Amino acid sequence: MPKKHKILLRAYIAFAALFAIAPASNAMHIMEGYLPAGYCVAWGVICLPFLIAGFISLKNKVKENRRNLTLIAMSGAFIFVISSLKIPSVTGSCSHMTGTGLGAILFGPASVSVLGIIVLIFQAVLLAHGGLTTLGANTFSMAIAGPLVSFGIYKLCQTMKVNRRVGVFLAAFLGDIFTYCVTSIQLALAYPSEAGGVAASAVKFLGVFAPTQLPLAVIEGILTVVIVIGLETYAKPELKRIGFFNERKEA
Amino acid sequence: MILIDKLSYRSKLRYVNASEKLMYAVLTLILCILSHSVRVAALVFVINGILTVGKGGIPLSRYVKLLMIPLAFLIVGTAAIVVNVSKVPLDAFAFRLGEWYITGSMAGIYRALELCATALSAVTCLYFLSLNTVMTDILDALRKLHFPSLLIELMLLIYRFIFVLFQTASAITVSQQARLGNRDFKTRIRSFGAMGSELFILALKRSNVLYDAMESRCYDGNIRVLTRMQPPRAGEIAAIAAIELILVLVWICG
Repeated sequence: MPKKHKILLRAYIAFAALFAIAPASNAMHIMEGYLPAGYCVAWGVICLPFLIAGFISLKNKVKENRRNLTLIAMSGAFIFVISSLKIPSVTGSCSHMTGTGLGAILFGPASVSVLGIIVLIFQAVLLAHGGLTTLGANTFSMAIAGPLVSFGIYKLCQTMKVNRRVGVFLAAFLGDIFTYCVTSIQLALAYPSEAGGVAASAVKFLGVFAPTQLPLAVIEGILTVVIVIGLETYAKPELKRIGFFNERKEA
Repeated sequence: MILIDKLSYRSKLRYVNASEKLMYAVLTLILCILSHSVRVAALVFVINGILTVGKGGIPLSRYVKLLMIPLAFLIVGTAAIVVNVSKVPLDAFAFRLGEWYITGSMAGIYRALELCATALSAVTCLYFLSLNTVMTDILDALRKLHFPSLLIELMLLIYRFIFVLFQTASAITVSQQARLGNRDFKTRIRSFGAMGSELFILALKRSNVLYDAMESRCYDGNIRVLTRMQPPRAGEIAAIAAIELILVLVWICG
């Protein structure tokens, strides 16, 4: 028995060491080819209504003022760049922000759904994070579910008059956590455990990704707060242009 | 700045018709996922390796390193599939922990191996496309498939802006480092935040200036660009059809 324990311990240490040497422990992109065909299509179909709504909203914005086109494009590029830069991390392996919380707070969940899928396509093709077949699943978790939660919590905190910084932190933090939960459930649905089914499998996926995702969510929350503070200090007129200050002006 | 992008401009297959490459990559990808068989996956892995490294002239060391990127996810995710916690030990391995067993079954291990093979070969399909096709050519191919023009235009602009913003971000990061902005964890967080907000402000300003420039050059809601003519060749299409046919045969007979 002690020998078996030793093996177990070694396996665990090797597993933990993996996080240190892994080239990039990026945000929760499901890799190319990891989901069965049926699930790829199903998640794509689930995303469709959100994407169409987002597309119509973008189209209206551009029709309203053509100048918005370059603005929206810049915002998309900003989300891509901010999510592919290395961020300071505690564990030493390099990690990236998801940018979903920040995007949802700045641009609203409708625009982020379309910008998110474009960013995910670029991430798949240019950075090999995620993939084309898993685009639907990734879009749902990172460009729809996460931003919706972030935006909801941000608004909730505003109406409940919670400190703004706390609200922004909670929005980014919980949006990240929610993305990570949704991805784990997506994986669990596709690969239910032999002992315990989908629920047990979800717990397993949550468990193995926790060491990278939990610290990441905290750091992402902090960074989002720092960025929003910076923006509020230096860029009030610009923020007004994208509609960020509208509600607060009246309040 | 972005390795895959840089390599794609150097590829020897760059001037092959983009629609052909897109078609090949997507069809092979779909076959990989649908078949879920190790034989098809191995074949695809080899074919794409030959095409990308041999024909495309992408350095082998770079290609191998790129294949390592999804490895972390692959290993961690597959570990979660193989290892089970249950009260009854399964047939492949079992470690006792109190009343519970950390255990796995042969079927599970086999399934995980199959999954790894499929996923890795799917990644090679993606790499074939992205290492041999320039992004603007992919967008052109999508335009020919009648994607909404607003979307294509947005992607074109975003693709261009990514590099502009990357350059700005790296310049800011260098000057922060020169001023000891990355001394410890706290300053690192502060620097990154400052860089992020500054980047956003600069991005907004740039977008304004860019619009003015476009407007003064008669922008009317459509960005028109000339594309290099790369007509599809019959031989290439035949080769693609042959490869797909072989894959289907291997899948059905295997």
